[in-house]
Amino acid sequence: MNKRIPISEIWVYLSGDPLFALIITLATYQLGYMLYVRAKRNPVVNPVAISVVLTCCIISALDMPYEKYFEGAQFVHFLLGTATVALAVPIYNGFKRMKGKIFHMWVALTAGSTVSIVSAVAIAQWMGASNNMVGSMYAKSVTAPIAMGIAERINVSPTLTAVFTVITGMLGAILAPYILNALKIQQWWIRGTAIGVGAHGLGITRAFSVNEEAGIFASMAMGLNGVISAIGLPIVLTYLRPHLGI
Amino acid sequence: MIEGLVQLFLWQGLGELASKFLLPSIPGPVLGLVFLVVFLMIKGEVNQPLGQVADQFRQHLGLLFVPASVGVVLFLPELKAHALAVSTALLVSVVLTIGVTAVVLKVFWYFSLKFGKGQRHE
Repeated sequence: MNKRIPISEIWVYLSGDPLFALIITLATYQLGYMLYVRAKRNPVVNPVAISVVLTCCIISALDMPYEKYFEGAQFVHFLLGTATVALAVPIYNGFKRMKGKIFHMWVALTAGSTVSIVSAVAIAQWMGASNNMVGSMYAKSVTAPIAMGIAERINVSPTLTAVFTVITGMLGAILAPYILNALKIQQWWIRGTAIGVGAHGLGITRAFSVNEEAGIFASMAMGLNGVISAIGLPIVLTYLRPHLGI
Repeated sequence: MIEGLVQLFLWQGLGELASKFLLPSIPGPVLGLVFLVVFLMIKGEVNQPLGQVADQFRQHLGLLFVPASVGVVLFLPELKAHALAVSTALLVSVVLTIGVTAVVLKVFWYFSLKFGKGQRHE
């Protein structure tokens, strides 16, 4: 009675199932995370980058169209919104710690995110990147879940935005200590804030591993920066877009 | 954990509703975040299940944007063509962002200490 099923049939069944995309996504991330922990949380070993590269390789090797992959992976993707709401907790915890510094933080965050957007967009445009690329530079300086929400609102590619955000986070987490040392910034809360604005999630992990205060301020700066950009960017762009021709 | 998730979903839902009917230019989850911050400030504390779930999300935030980032396969030729522009823009921008934020904060803080408006830094 034991009818043997050819392996190709099992494969057809598996690859048509959303579970497959979920398994690749989670397993590659798990692997990336293990490597990251083993490398003593060195930001060069970014779990997200590892997972993305491996997943890309796997689905290309299997000739699986991205749409097909996303059908399964959307269950993970869906939680982005929820994760955004969860950022309320570090923002609130930060608020409690920063009495008398609120105004300073707003000014610094606004300055930082403006510089971040203007420099990225200007350089990309000046060096002749396509409109698609330039557009996705707008939201890249915000933490990815919020960045992608903004990208949808201002009609640029959420995918490219997410990729640029991940790269930014990696670069930021790697470079931040050098930049801050070169500028002779000693206060932990200032270092943390700058890292949160510049290096998002990865930067925060790094900040927490060095100093708790830096970590709390980094989390808060990341969340606040996201909120400011989400509210400000669509408004500013509505006025600026006709002049920039993007 | 379920308790914390339920709270987050409810706030997210509220945010989505507000985004749909009141403020369409702001993403729903961001409004949900703002509502939750206001709620926490009124209440004065984070309940434990919410704190736990929020912590988990923060730790593995990266996992959640893997599916979208994998979409990069669709853009590979375009990215290759503009690799230099894109990498320069990202690199310079990140250095400037961190530098400017830190310097503005430091200078501003220094002045407010000097003129006695800010608090003493511990």
